[in-house]
Formats: sequence, structure tokens, C-alpha cells
Amino acid sequence: MNSPYPLPRQDFGPSYLEAVHGGLDKILGESGTASVLFYIKAVDDFPDPAEFDKKLTAIFGPRGAQSLERAIVKDLAMRLKWSLDLMKIEGAFDFKATMVAIENGVRA
Amino acid sequence: MTTTTEIEANPSGRTNRQTIGARAELSELAEARIPTLLGLKQLMNGPIRTLLVKGLAGTGKTTVALEILKAAGKGNGAYISSRVPQELLETHIPAMKETLQGQDFLDVRLEDATSALEFVMGLTEPKKVKTIVFDSWDALAKEFDSKERLRAEKTLIAVSNNSGAQLVFVSEEPGATTIDYLVDGILEVSTVEEQDRSVREFTIHKLRGTKIPQRKYLFTLLDGRFTFFEPYTTPSYSEIRKFTAMPDIGEAYSLGSPALDRLLGGMVPGSTLTVEYDEDVPYFALRAIELPPIINFLAMGRSAILLPLPGANTGLTSSVLTRAIGEGAPSERLHILDVLRSSDLKTTSMTKHATPDEIHEVVTNETTRLRKKSVDQAMLHVNSIAALENLFASDLDSLLEVTSQEIITLQQSRDAHILFLPTNSPIRSRILSMSSSHARLSVRDGAVVMFGVKPFTGVYALQHLEDPILPSLTQLV
Repeated sequence: MNSPYPLPRQDFGPSYLEAVHGGLDKILGESGTASVLFYIKAVDDFPDPAEFDKKLTAIFGPRGAQSLERAIVKDLAMRLKWSLDLMKIEGAFDFKATMVAIENGVRA
Repeated sequence: MTTTTEIEANPSGRTNRQTIGARAELSELAEARIPTLLGLKQLMNGPIRTLLVKGLAGTGKTTVALEILKAAGKGNGAYISSRVPQELLETHIPAMKETLQGQDFLDVRLEDATSALEFVMGLTEPKKVKTIVFDSWDALAKEFDSKERLRAEKTLIAVSNNSGAQLVFVSEEPGATTIDYLVDGILEVSTVEEQDRSVREFTIHKLRGTKIPQRKYLFTLLDGRFTFFEPYTTPSYSEIRKFTAMPDIGEAYSLGSPALDRLLGGMVPGSTLTVEYDEDVPYFALRAIELPPIINFLAMGRSAILLPLPGANTGLTSSVLTRAIGEGAPSERLHILDVLRSSDLKTTSMTKHATPDEIHEVVTNETTRLRKKSVDQAMLHVNSIAALENLFASDLDSLLEVTSQEIITLQQSRDAHILFLPTNSPIRSRILSMSSSHARLSVRDGAVVMFGVKPFTGVYALQHLEDPILPSLTQLV
């Protein structure tokens, strides 16, 4: 995957992957989550945010994808014990930018 | 309302090829109407994206769902089956074999709900499939607890909304479930009792954003096809065609309509057929039973006497008969005796307060006169009991006595006798006990239904699909 955002797997990656499952579970349920992740081939690997956004958008449309992505970010914030205020998930929301910001925060 | 003038102004030919069903035409009608009725035009273009088809086992859910799938067009639909493989389904509903073979078929009997969701994503994401039928959804959904089920259903609906595909959920769960609240439309199919016979009915519980002019309709699965019946519509007498005589059926007289002959087997000479009707049966539907035997008797060179139903327009009846068989036969060999009209009483030299015996005497004299003109001396008597009851309300015993005497006299002749009997008649049971055969008409969900009580037959929906004066009878199975 040619992502411009090398993810620090040892720190950020596991939390991100868990948040993807956790966030999607809350909305889609276990079966929905499993089927979506299987369908977009992101069961075990943590997905590149840009690619992930694109695939979710293809399945659920822009608004549906954003709802799911917000749920993922919320879940990730809880795992990282971050304040949601820092995430800027209300209003115009860019999943890729938010994930980069979180990743950078984790790195710092 | 159709008038005599309209009839005379619009001459047209006639065919006697009216058969029970008129299969091809019915099928086309059904296909044209189902999308409109079920909001499928809206389903294709607008607000109805998700539809739940529910009902108990054997009520016709799968056939309904397949009709909807068919409406999507070849190659635009998918059928996800959690119950039966494709081969078996094609065997169960042969009429839908072509539809099934023209669409994707996914057998998920041995799959879990997650796999089924994946299938849906695979079908909808390329935005190729227009309609997906999930038959049955509850078989898979039962794997879930209520919260998980709701989430899975929301996922399915979100996926379909995004792709523009319509989802049709088939369910055997009679009560309201989570899916009831999520879908745009709910259609329930059921079987209901109609005079000790089962008929199919569907109920539209909701169709978001769509007007529901009527919530319940009768339908049939005859020949494995879904055909529903709109409320009875009066025929346009401007389209009456020239009648072709229908020969006797062995020893029995034809009733002038293939549909009626198939239902009742014609009329044996000397027999009395009683046609019982509920008060809400439209007059035009009764006329479709009343006129064909008269027209056929006249067309066969025989004679007839008609005591019409109360409120009948004798001028219209004469005009219809003339249109069907020309002027000669009705004027020579038919007597329409409207016992409620003073002008008729004058022509028959009766007083305004004629007794049943006096009416009987007039009928006897007319019978003698018309019998001589009949090619084989056979006569048809068509009498309205309601008209006679109105006339002799205070002397029903005499009426019954005279009617009984008339039936016995006719039994000894080669004549045929048809009585029109309102269900609420005080002499109903006595009349029925004297009848050789008994047919009944009633109205259900706006449709006129007819069946034989004696002999026992299934239930048929009465329409006018070809000739306006003849009934088309479609069996409700």
C-alpha cells in the first residue's frame, strides 16, 4: 500500500485496528462489521485511512462512511484516553486528516 | 353510467371466446398493475427502497417477491435464498422459472448472516443490481439477539440506500419485528375464509410517501402467478360484440358463457338454478349472470321470459340484447315482464294489486305463447325473487306457494329456470331447498366473487375482461 502516512504499528496500529472494529461494531453490529471488513479485505491489517474511507464511501455513501468513521475516531479517542474535543469530529470531517493528527499525537 | 344512447352509438363485433381466466391478458394486466399498486414504480424511482413481504407459510410470499423481482427486469435482480435451492424453487413455482434463471441466485442455506451481508455488499457495490429479494430474512436474523439484528438490518438498508438497489425482505414472522420499523413498505399476505372457502388476501400496511387508495386486495396464485383484483368496475356496454350461439352441452343448456358453463356445468332441462347475491353486489355483475343465458336461448332459436331485478332499466336491457343478437329474436321470443311497472301490468291486463296467482297466470299464458315460437318448445324463465317480494311483501306465503308450483311445473317440462335471490330474503331457505343448483355472489375487498354452493366449487373473481355482457371468472387459488 503506497500510503504517505507510515503508521507506527507498535504504538498506534493496534489501537487503530481495535477502534475500527469497536467503532463499526457500535453501528453495524458484529456481523455487519465482520462482513464489511471482509468485503473490503481489512480483517487483520489496519487499513490505510484514505483507502479505508474510499471503500466505506463506496459501500455506504459519503454520509454513511462519515458516520462510521466518526464512530471509529470516538472509539479510538476512548482507547487513547483523549478528549474528543481535540479530534474535531463535528462539522466538516476528514477521516484521513484526523487519523494523521492522532497518529502524530501518539508519536509525539 | 352507460346509457342506451351510448350503446347504440358504438357498434362493435363480439366474440364468444370468453373463457375462465383469459390467461394471457390477465397476466399482462397483473404485470402492469402490480408495480403501480405496490408502489413499485415509486420503488424503482423514489421513496420505496425497502419492502417487507410477510405472512404465514403457504400464503404466497415467495410468489409475490418473485413478481417484484421480475419487475426489476432480466439481469437486474438477485434472489438470496435461505430456505430452498434454485432447482426446488423452480419446481415449486414453474411460472417463475424464467424469472429465476434471468437473475442472480444466491443459495445461503448453509451460510451465516455475516456471509449473507457480504453477498449483499458484493451485489450492491457495483450498482448493477436493482432489486434484491431476501427470502427469508428472518431465517438468518434469528441467529441474532435483538440489538445485533437491528444493527444488521440497518447495515443492509444503508448499503441498499447507497447503491440505489431495492431490498425486499420476505418474512414468516407474523408479529412486528425490528425490520417493520425500518422498511419503507410492508405488505402482508394471508388466507381468509369466504363462505367456508379459503381465499388469498394481501394487506398494504405501509408504503412511505405513497398514497394507499385501498389497503386490502384479493389475489390468486393461479398458474403460479400473482394476480390481484381491483374493485369491480362496471363494463362499458359500448363495446358489446355480436353474440355467437353456444350449443347445448350434452343434455344441458349452455348458460351462454364458457365461464359460467365451466363453473356450473350448464343447465339441465327442468332444473332451477338459484343465483344468490349479497346486497352489495353491483347490479352490473348480476346482469353478467342474468343476460348470457337469455341471449343464448334466443340465439339458439328458443324463447325466454324475464322478470327483471328491481331497478333494472328495461330499455337498457332491450338495447343490450339487440346489440348482441339483433332486433328480431328479442321482439319475437322474449317477454320482459317488469312486475313493478304499471305499464307492464296494463299490457298484461293485470290490476295494480295483482296477486301472485294472477302474475303466475300471466307467466303461464306468456309461456304458452312463446313456447310455440321456440325452435324446440324449450323456454328459459329468469325471475327476480326480490322484485316479486317487493310486490307481494304482505303475502309471501302465496308467493312461495306460486314459486314452488312454478318450479314443480318446470321440472316436468324441458324448460330452465333461473332465480335471482337476495341473501336477506325471508323466503331464502325455502327457495334454496327447491333449487337444483345454487350459485352465490358476494363482494370482498371491492371485488365480486362467485362460487357454486350446489354443486360445490372453488371461489372465482368476476370481472369483464373481454365482452362487457359476459363474465370472466378467475379462480382464487
